[in-house]
This record gives sequence, structure tokens and C-alpha cells, in this order.
Amino acid sequence: MRIIVDRAKCSSIGMCEAVAPDVFEIGADGALTVLTEEVGEDRRAEMVQACQDCPTQALSLEG
Amino acid sequence: MTTAIPREARPYDDADISSLRFWSATAEQREEVFAELRAERPVSWHRPVHNGLFEDPNDQGFWAVVRHADVIEVTRRPADFVSGQGVVFESMPQELLDAGQGFIAMDPPRHTKVRRLLTAAFTPRQMARIDDHITGNAKRIVDDIADKGEVDFVRDVSALVPMHNICDMIGCPDEYRQTIAHEAQFAGGWRDPKLMQGAEPMTRLLQAAATVRVIADELIAERRRNPSDDLLSALVTAEVDGERLTDDEIASFFNLLMIAGNDTTRQSTSHGMKALSDFADQRAWLVEDLPGRLPGAVEEIVRWATPIMTFRRTAAHDCELGGQQITEGDKVVMFYASANWDTEVFDHPERLDLSRSPNPHLSFGGGGIHHCLGNQLARRQLVATFRELLTRLPDIEVDGEPTYGTGNFFHAVLSMTVRFTPRR
Repeated sequence: MRIIVDRAKCSSIGMCEAVAPDVFEIGADGALTVLTEEVGEDRRAEMVQACQDCPTQALSLEG
Repeated sequence: MTTAIPREARPYDDADISSLRFWSATAEQREEVFAELRAERPVSWHRPVHNGLFEDPNDQGFWAVVRHADVIEVTRRPADFVSGQGVVFESMPQELLDAGQGFIAMDPPRHTKVRRLLTAAFTPRQMARIDDHITGNAKRIVDDIADKGEVDFVRDVSALVPMHNICDMIGCPDEYRQTIAHEAQFAGGWRDPKLMQGAEPMTRLLQAAATVRVIADELIAERRRNPSDDLLSALVTAEVDGERLTDDEIASFFNLLMIAGNDTTRQSTSHGMKALSDFADQRAWLVEDLPGRLPGAVEEIVRWATPIMTFRRTAAHDCELGGQQITEGDKVVMFYASANWDTEVFDHPERLDLSRSPNPHLSFGGGGIHHCLGNQLARRQLVATFRELLTRLPDIEVDGEPTYGTGNFFHAVLSMTVRFTPRR
């Protein structure tokens, strides 16, 4: 699956990074980077958690 | 849908959540009123808060939002419910809003840009990097009380943990820390007669703002000459829309970080200590596996404490909320203490349950763009502090009743004696 970031909504709060630091990173410039283009199916629960935890609903999954 | 009633003609709800008497009562007594509102009138119109200290003749009242789901909804409709006109009950003069509330009282798009300047310093990754440092501060604070046997927990523990950590992050040297932490209390505490001790609120607030401003200006000038890797340096070198921040803006963020960084974790630490004294069985369960259980326990402590009890928004236009017709300009106040006790979401909220999971408390906010920037910092500080306390002073107990504040913003513990077997 792929992670879609709505840049207009993302406020770089970093809750996603708390769930999966190897997938999400808030950089020194305050912008969110998704470190892994494709995330394996075995981590779906974790990615759903990251989307749900996002206070601004900026994350969604594709595929 | 009900029809809109103009503010001046709108009848006030019978429940009293506006008086000093209400805010001077215990959290349990306040909860009785919230429970009634949650069950019967979840969005209700109330008289302006009255605390005998600061009255605004033009203030006609506020909507009280008390259910967990509704607090989340208000938080997540930032275009309907804005922050730029103030985030506390009272209508504050604009100069104080500008000076003291920083980006918390800002709306997008500027809020989003300004918040990004600071966010990198508060991410989970960055917190993991400074965790040893946070632990070091907690150790030092426990070292300093360990041989005493009896201390004022608020003064000697709760106030010091966040003060040192936030000042380390901002880059505020030791010599100014006590002064700033003391003055920061008045930002929320000016409503509290016990803290004010007769001082006139506006005068004292301006005095606090001026004292902190002198220090901020000196540090800002110093960082402009010699930037380092702290938050203040990040602010003096940052650009928003191609422009540097002004000294006024930086000083305002400095103020916000000091207030939000000091007075919140302070309250959670104190309420946590009290709760661990009151619920011996929960404490026993916790210490059976401190490293494994502490992170979850901290979530429950933060729910239990609800260090910030209220935040306000203002309706940007006519809209609906919880079946009520809200009019442009209406104040809409979210009651976190009530949301954190909502039985629709929490099973037996009146019980401290350190194993509660999931624990969707709203102590850091209901999501949305103003979600607590320091939530990870707060969690790590509480873990570090209780790990040190419970490991090194295993019989530490609250002695007698704490002195609670009577304000409507911070759920303040002003002083609280603890006793323990001294360690040599």
C-alpha cells in the first residue's frame, strides 16, 4: 500500500512518527517526509493506526 | 434545527459553571454538574465567567461543549471555530493576546507556517534524542530532595521538571529560570485569588509580561549575534513567507512556550502523585512492572489530571453544533475535564485505572491543528519523573490535602506536602 499525505492539512504534529518512525519523519524544516514509498501488507494495522492518530486527518492509504 | 436566538435575548442555562464558587469547588463536585449537562444539555449557553477579578461589560456569555465527541468536533472545525480572537473565556485586550498567546491564538494559514518552525524540536524522534537529558533532569531533581524526608512537592518537583526541560530546549540559562517559571504562572493564574494575593489582575499580568519580555529581549539579541542549536536560535533565523520574525513575535512564542511548557506538566505531575497516593492498589500494580506499565499509566495520569480544563474558540460565522444554532461571534468553550469523564467513552471514569486501554483522553486536545505541540515531551517527562520517584523514594506519599487553585483554565495544585523515608 502507499501513504498519501494531504500537504494542505499536515501540520507536522508528528503523531505518525510516534507510531512508525521508520516510515514517517518530520524533518528539521518541519515538513513531513514519507520514508517508504511502498509499505508491506503486514504493516497495515500500524499504518491504519497512523492515519487514525493524525490530528488533522492528513494521511490516507492507497491500495 | 433550532432557530438562532440573538445573544442578548438567549436564556442562560440553569446550571452554574460560571461562578467563582463553581471553580472553587472540587473536581468531583464540578463533575456532578458536567454529568448533568452531558446527559441532558450537551451544548448549552451560560453566563460569562465571574471571578470578581476581571469583568467585561460587553461579554454576553459562552456555549459550553461538554461531551467527548463534541469537543473533538469543535477542535476539528477550525474554519468554523477560530482561535484568533482568543482561546480563554475572558475577552482579553489584543495587546495581551499578541504578547502572551503566540501561535495558539492564531488561525491558518499563518498558524500552519509558524507552527512548522517549532515542530521539528518536538517530534517523537527528537524527543527520543533528548530522553537521556530529560532523565538526567529528573534524577537531579530527585537527588535534591532525597535526604529531606518532607517537601512541598509542587515547589521542589512538579515545577522544576518542566522548567528545566523547556528552558534547556529553548536555550534559557539557569539564572532566569525561576523568575520565568514564577511569572508564567500568572498567565493562567491571574484568575486565582489564592495565587494573586490581592494584586490587581491586569496590572499583575502586564508586570509578568514585562518581566519576561526583558529577559526574552536580552536572549533574542544574544542569539541574533551568536545562534546555536536551541529553539530560540531557530526562531531568530527562521523566515515565514520570506520574512524574518519580528522581536515581538519571537517574544510572544517565547512566552507561549514558557507558559505551555511549565504550567501543564507541573499540574499533571502533582495530580499524578496525588492519585498514586490515593489509589494504593493501582500503585502496587504499577510498580510490579514499572518499565512496562509506566507509559500506559502516564496516559491515565494525564487523563486524570486534565491540566488544562478549558479552551475557547469563537464562531467565525453562523453555524450549527450539537443541534444548537451558533451565531457569528459567539464564544464556544470546550470543557476537557468533562470530556475526559464522558461515560460514552470511558468505563468508570471516576476510577484511576492505570491499565486503561485504549485511553482516548483529550488532555492534549481533541486533534486538529492546535493539538498540543509538547505532547511527546510531556509524556517523556512524566515517565522519567515517576520512574525516578517510585524507584528511589518507594514510600513517597502525599501528606494531608493539597491546596488547589480556583482558576478556570489550569487545573492547578498550588502546594502539596509529600513525606518519604530520607535516603542518605
